[in-house]
Amino acid sequence: MVDLIFTVISLIVIVPLALFLGVIYSYLLRKLSARFQWRVGPMLRMYGDLKPLLGTTRLLQPLYDILKLYGKETIVPDVSRRRLFVYSPFLSLFFAVAAIFFIPFPGMPLLSGVPYSLIIASYLLIASILFTILGPVASGSPWAAIGARREVELFLVSELGFVLSLFAVAIARQSLVIWEISSGGQSLYLALLTVTAGALMFVAMLGKLHIKPFDMPEAEAEIVAGPYTEYSGKLLGTYYLTKVFLLYGLVALFISLFLPPIATDVLWLPLYIVAAVVLVFLLTSVQVLNPRYRIRNAINWYLKVAIPLGVLNFIIALAIWLVV
Amino acid sequence: MKFETAPDVAEYVKKEIYPDGLEYVPLRENRVIVKVAPGDLTKVAELFVKKFEARLIHATAVDLELKGFEVLHIYDFSKFKDRLVVIVKAIVDKDSPEFPSIANITWQATWAEREMKELLGVKPSGMPDPRHQFLPHEWPNPVESGSIPEGYKFDGSTTAKEMYLPLRMPIEEAYQTLIPIGPYHPGVIEGQIVYVKVEGEQVVAADIKTGFHHRGIMKLIERRGYNKGAFLAERVCGICSAAHGLAYITCTENLYESEVPERALYIRTLLAELNRMHSHLLWVGVVADVIGWKTGFMLTWGLRERVMDIIEAITGNRVNYGIWRMGGVSRDVPQELAEKAKRTVDALREECAKLLLLVADHPVVKSRLIGVGPLTRAQAYDGGAVGPVARASDWKIDVRIDNPPHAIYDPKVISWEVITDDHCDTFGRTLVRVKELLVSCSIVSQCLEYLAKTTGDIRIKPKTVPLGAEAVGLNEAPRGELAYYIRASDKDSSLPHTVRIRTPSYRNNAIIPLMLVGSNLADVPVVMGSTDQCLACTDRLEVIDNRDGGRKILTWDQLVNLSRRASRW
Repeated sequence: MVDLIFTVISLIVIVPLALFLGVIYSYLLRKLSARFQWRVGPMLRMYGDLKPLLGTTRLLQPLYDILKLYGKETIVPDVSRRRLFVYSPFLSLFFAVAAIFFIPFPGMPLLSGVPYSLIIASYLLIASILFTILGPVASGSPWAAIGARREVELFLVSELGFVLSLFAVAIARQSLVIWEISSGGQSLYLALLTVTAGALMFVAMLGKLHIKPFDMPEAEAEIVAGPYTEYSGKLLGTYYLTKVFLLYGLVALFISLFLPPIATDVLWLPLYIVAAVVLVFLLTSVQVLNPRYRIRNAINWYLKVAIPLGVLNFIIALAIWLVV
Repeated sequence: MKFETAPDVAEYVKKEIYPDGLEYVPLRENRVIVKVAPGDLTKVAELFVKKFEARLIHATAVDLELKGFEVLHIYDFSKFKDRLVVIVKAIVDKDSPEFPSIANITWQATWAEREMKELLGVKPSGMPDPRHQFLPHEWPNPVESGSIPEGYKFDGSTTAKEMYLPLRMPIEEAYQTLIPIGPYHPGVIEGQIVYVKVEGEQVVAADIKTGFHHRGIMKLIERRGYNKGAFLAERVCGICSAAHGLAYITCTENLYESEVPERALYIRTLLAELNRMHSHLLWVGVVADVIGWKTGFMLTWGLRERVMDIIEAITGNRVNYGIWRMGGVSRDVPQELAEKAKRTVDALREECAKLLLLVADHPVVKSRLIGVGPLTRAQAYDGGAVGPVARASDWKIDVRIDNPPHAIYDPKVISWEVITDDHCDTFGRTLVRVKELLVSCSIVSQCLEYLAKTTGDIRIKPKTVPLGAEAVGLNEAPRGELAYYIRASDKDSSLPHTVRIRTPSYRNNAIIPLMLVGSNLADVPVVMGSTDQCLACTDRLEVIDNRDGGRKILTWDQLVNLSRRASRW
């Protein structure tokens, strides 16, 4: 009974917490890439004389940008399939939020202990991305159609790496429950798997989060705003909110799967934050160092990197399962 | 320094090049006018282009009021004799202003003849592409403007706008496969439409439509006179303003017996090359942005700011320098400033060399640029590419060597070289531009060294421009060959009768459709960007929206202060 109450409370707490952390990660992405590019970026401490005008800090700038969109007019194009166009952002957000319920946070196991939670979480993440494709397709814009097509192609190849990496871990740990994986111990062999499968997961995350060189679905110089061309106001804000949750969810999943037992006990919280910041820093470095690939190059690259790496992971995982 | 004409130049043209002209008039600096009958224009073009491989610089027409229209074809003969430019002239009647088109002989004349037709109402007969160049295709109706294919049947229900068919394809097909890049597209900042017909992501046909940005600068110069014209010419383009200033001054100085002090020539070279440096840095940034490399964009534009700072210290302005004068320049470069600027430029050279390595070695950048927008040497020659686009197709063409403007570009005085590359694609264009950047650094450095050591006059008062004089001024702008043609008025010695500007983008934009065919849709903005197009130079219409409102009014100083505070580290 106590467990149930604790779980319910933690489920309620995790939503604002995930939003906050997602916003902080987005802020870090923006600030770090700004500093890499000789820019200022959103200010952590505002200049004294501008404080009355702009507030003391712009730490929550990504959130303000989303909130601004909620105050704007929403336009639904005449040629769109109205119902799908309007519901897709909300469904996408719903699945992203649902996915984070199955990923543990230090001190809060949430629903990660339920059987097959690894499968559930990965399917929910897929569903969320699926609706970022369906809505744009329903909008009737040629730019959105091209963007969505690229998103599908990219999604298919990055998903391959994602799944291969998840199941390598599952085989090695002999479990499909995230909580069991993340509270398991470490050994030399598992550390090796962490490096190889973690690298594969990181590469898959690049595609899922549209980090350069894999941001071709949103390539503004080529296809305006890609999938989001026809979206505006609240609907666009909802998509951006989804992105924030996805960023949090993927970072949390990475830590809980590859860096156990950091995501289990509340005492690990400082280390959890450090790991998240390092991960966001790595994502940012890739983002600033690279131009955008063509979609064909991206697919080739994924097939060249993800499949051999995935096979290697499987061999290591099988060896761990059979030998150790 | 005086600019001399070879004494026998008219005789040379008559004897060696074309003996059947009606009249031969030598102009200053080895420019020769050959007057012919209108019917002979094609014959002359055929002879010049096929036999002598002369390059058409521009074709235009002048309104001579009662006398009729004067059709001008300007050919570059610098391969045969130093600085030789032959201007072929034919006067056509006002009542029936028809003359044979030369676009079938040299494709480079296509845009020029379409423009001529719109500008003056002359009728080149037998044009391969009679559609409007700058006016809307649907005006006054698609049949008259030539955008409806021969024998195309349309019912009365289609509006004029729907009948606008860019690639002369049926409406039904156009709706399915035609993608408009523009008129305002995030990949290309300025206004133009490129229509691409796609199959999947493959481009199978492309067409370009200009005419979104007309400012009437040529007409304004005709009404304001030679002195004010220098300021107007700079405003043709905000990025290559020095190139326009220099070309205009070269042209006006060719109208009279001019003399320019040596120090002024060095200052002109200095500014033109600083201008080229910041223009090329800007271009590298734009291409980096188009391929999604924001970091490259920020780094190159950061370097560009330092060039702009030097320009500001020398001239007091960042964009339009306002120092070009007939007979010299208006502002000297003090010796201590020259020394300081030289140190900055030398430091900048190191950074630019690093930039070259960064661009030439980045695997993803290479994968986006190699093989994109192919243009062979033959295509570049036939299409009339100029500047870095032509040089990247391994065609050594540079006005600074062939037909130098009134500045110091003599290889005996200043050591520099023309950069070419045999990649024949966007990667080649990138390498050419970044290497030219280093060459410009070295030219700037040598000019500053001279300026730091010497003193002297910077301007000699110009003489009166003779009535009815004519001149051609050429300059190598950052984007390629820039040509000015000026004809002085017959009545007023301070006003030009006609001013014609042929910008490099005018030529390079015309061959964009050629480069686009066969490329991937993702590469379209890269190909369009690769010519470094400057549409403000190319176009001929502007709408100014002067609405103003708002409750809070900030003064200029307040705005400057705010922007400085916002960008402080």
